[in-house]
Amino acid sequence: MSDTINSTQYDFDAIVVGSGISGGWAAKELTEKGLRVLVLDRGKPIRHSVDYVGEHAPSWKFPYQAKKPRELYAEEYPVQSRVTHSFNEATRHFWNNDKQNPYDDNPDKPFMWARADVVGGRSLIWGRQTYRFSPQDFQANASDGHGIPWPVDYEEMAPWYSHVEKFIGVNGRKEGLAQLPDGEFQKPMPWYALEETIGERLKKKAPDVTLTNSRVAILTEDLPGRSACHYCGPCPRGCSTGSYFSSQSSTLPAAKATGRLTVIANAVVERLIHDPATGKISDVQVIDTQTGERASYSARLFFLCASTIGSTQILMNSKSDAFPNGLANSSGALGKYMMDHALGTSSMGVFLDNMDSYYSGNRPTGLYIPRFRNLQGQDEDADFIRGYGYQTYTVRMDWSTSFNRKGFGADLKDSLRKPGQWLWVLSYFSECLPRESNRMFLSPNKVDRFGIPQVAFDFTWSDNEINMQADAGRQADRLMKAAGAVLTLPGGTDMSIPGEGIHEMGTARMGNDPAQAVLNKYNQAHDVPNLFVTDGSFMTSSSCVNPSLTYMAFTARAADYAARQLAEGLI
Amino acid sequence: MNRREFLQCAAVMVSGMTASQLGLALSDAQRAHLATAPNYNAGKASYLSAAQRRILAAACETIIPRSDTPGAIDAGVPNFIELMVSDWFNATERAIFDAGMIDLETRIPQQYGMAFDRLTAPAQRDILEALESAASDHPWYEFGNVQRDFISDAPFICQLKELTIWGFFTSERGAKEVLRYNPMPMQFDGHLPLSPNDSTWAGVVES
Repeated sequence: MSDTINSTQYDFDAIVVGSGISGGWAAKELTEKGLRVLVLDRGKPIRHSVDYVGEHAPSWKFPYQAKKPRELYAEEYPVQSRVTHSFNEATRHFWNNDKQNPYDDNPDKPFMWARADVVGGRSLIWGRQTYRFSPQDFQANASDGHGIPWPVDYEEMAPWYSHVEKFIGVNGRKEGLAQLPDGEFQKPMPWYALEETIGERLKKKAPDVTLTNSRVAILTEDLPGRSACHYCGPCPRGCSTGSYFSSQSSTLPAAKATGRLTVIANAVVERLIHDPATGKISDVQVIDTQTGERASYSARLFFLCASTIGSTQILMNSKSDAFPNGLANSSGALGKYMMDHALGTSSMGVFLDNMDSYYSGNRPTGLYIPRFRNLQGQDEDADFIRGYGYQTYTVRMDWSTSFNRKGFGADLKDSLRKPGQWLWVLSYFSECLPRESNRMFLSPNKVDRFGIPQVAFDFTWSDNEINMQADAGRQADRLMKAAGAVLTLPGGTDMSIPGEGIHEMGTARMGNDPAQAVLNKYNQAHDVPNLFVTDGSFMTSSSCVNPSLTYMAFTARAADYAARQLAEGLI
Repeated sequence: MNRREFLQCAAVMVSGMTASQLGLALSDAQRAHLATAPNYNAGKASYLSAAQRRILAAACETIIPRSDTPGAIDAGVPNFIELMVSDWFNATERAIFDAGMIDLETRIPQQYGMAFDRLTAPAQRDILEALESAASDHPWYEFGNVQRDFISDAPFICQLKELTIWGFFTSERGAKEVLRYNPMPMQFDGHLPLSPNDSTWAGVVES
């Protein structure tokens, strides 16, 4: 695309708010199409590799030899430290300080908001699970009447999934399953011997399920500028070799290489300015987190990629006479229909097979059991609609899982230093229905240190999610027996706390009807032609698979559409 | 292969920079990395008296003694525990620890005629086993009760055992000389043969 679209009348051609999974993709695609792009992020600036200060740190270097600093976490990181196992002294610099940047949590209806606070966002600390939505997922709302229909189908998205997968690098195994479409995969990571044992047994005794490699955005083959996984772990500390996909390792460098990228860190977006004369967004207003100084930047195109909650907060705080209920909210859907995957341990099984088989290297993911319920219509014995999948983990127990034992001396030392039994864990992730009553809103009386209203939540699980958790437990028991567990420990009975899935989405849903949806099928606001929202906000339904790949595919597609509209003078 | 060597190899693969260029580019930044910090258990502790330090060291060594491999004292565990009690314990936990130490410090000479650390190894073990026997109903001993930070009302003997075991296997010598430590495996093998005498890998892996 030529540079003729550049206009000195504007500071930039496009402004992207956020630099995580979606923002990085928006920056890459828009700069590669010839646009001068400004990326704004409220987080700290961070340099790929150089600033991964926790990478490869051994336990004896950690404060308290890796026992967690409890007082500090309770005082300053009460949410982040509980929402994920990845939060520790090797990763803490990536995360939001809850004391510094609070939200208005209702103790009667708690919501956990996992937030990053660096350029690169949660792409640095994500779980890297990478799945396509299925044709059935895109049809779900239309067929059972929950939510509104998706304005796109799988066929339309498939080429965009491929486009993203080829760039990010996904390893996995092709299975030919309708409910989990195959993608462009690098060679899959190897299995533990026990997993092969379990896989064979499940084929015989539970043929209705498939045990396959989890599909993860981690390289098993080199890509330009990134090298294959070294199995060092743990990933969330950052990866100098760029083996896992993050904005820092992949999309931001690609955008930077065009010479058309500007990144401003420590920049909190206060609001977008809507010009009633043109009907478009003219400027973004930001506050410097370090100095408190305000600035504004103009552009022809605006992409909100600040995370579901972040982008929705910005839209809600950008009220004007034209939009008294929040920017681009003539539908009234903004903030509503929020979803998050419910998740939990369904079963833990102890195995005595393959005891003389061990492993070398830290494989940074487990295996996956794709959805197997309600695939051909409603299963007769299912008291819920839609379904769930299991992420499975194989663990060889060791001293750290059995130190609370009796005994002293050489015998104790010797038994503690040797491997214990194998443990195989089934963790379910279930689809969440879009419901109007699950919502986020601006706190009526609490503001943050910048004077911006804090966000608040009203989110509860419905019977559908609750029944699904019970079913996931029953089915996991059946699968553990089939797999040959000698002992099973049931999972918890409590539902996960909303937000704990770290897959919050849906608060600016897309749909064909402007009266019911905030965005159209290209992630463009129905009400504001030069405004696009491409993070999880746009999600019309949630599927049960991890959503990041879908955010990336829709972002790439939206950027393509927006750049063409801009070139044709339609925006 | 240490971090710097690995990074140099990786950078050569990734960017075509020479290793020496990269070494220069990273040397300043690396100083802030956790991997280059001093060992935690080498920090200076000032919580216990000299007499208490001798008692604590003897107790740690009773739990994990030197054999053909290092023991608790070799691995710096007593100093680790002293640091943890002063810097990491809360007031409840510290009170239990203090009372337990005072008990060993005062009761043992009355009963045995000499300090705990002067007794024979079997006598020291008998004393700790008696403490364990008295504490054995505590939930600390329940199977699987390990996924937590710490149990604040755990009895003194449980505190000692947990901190000794944790401090030992997360120490440099415990990890490298008793367990097996490989920070850069380079590949994953799910079929590595395991002999009856093999140790586990050091390091807790998060996904």
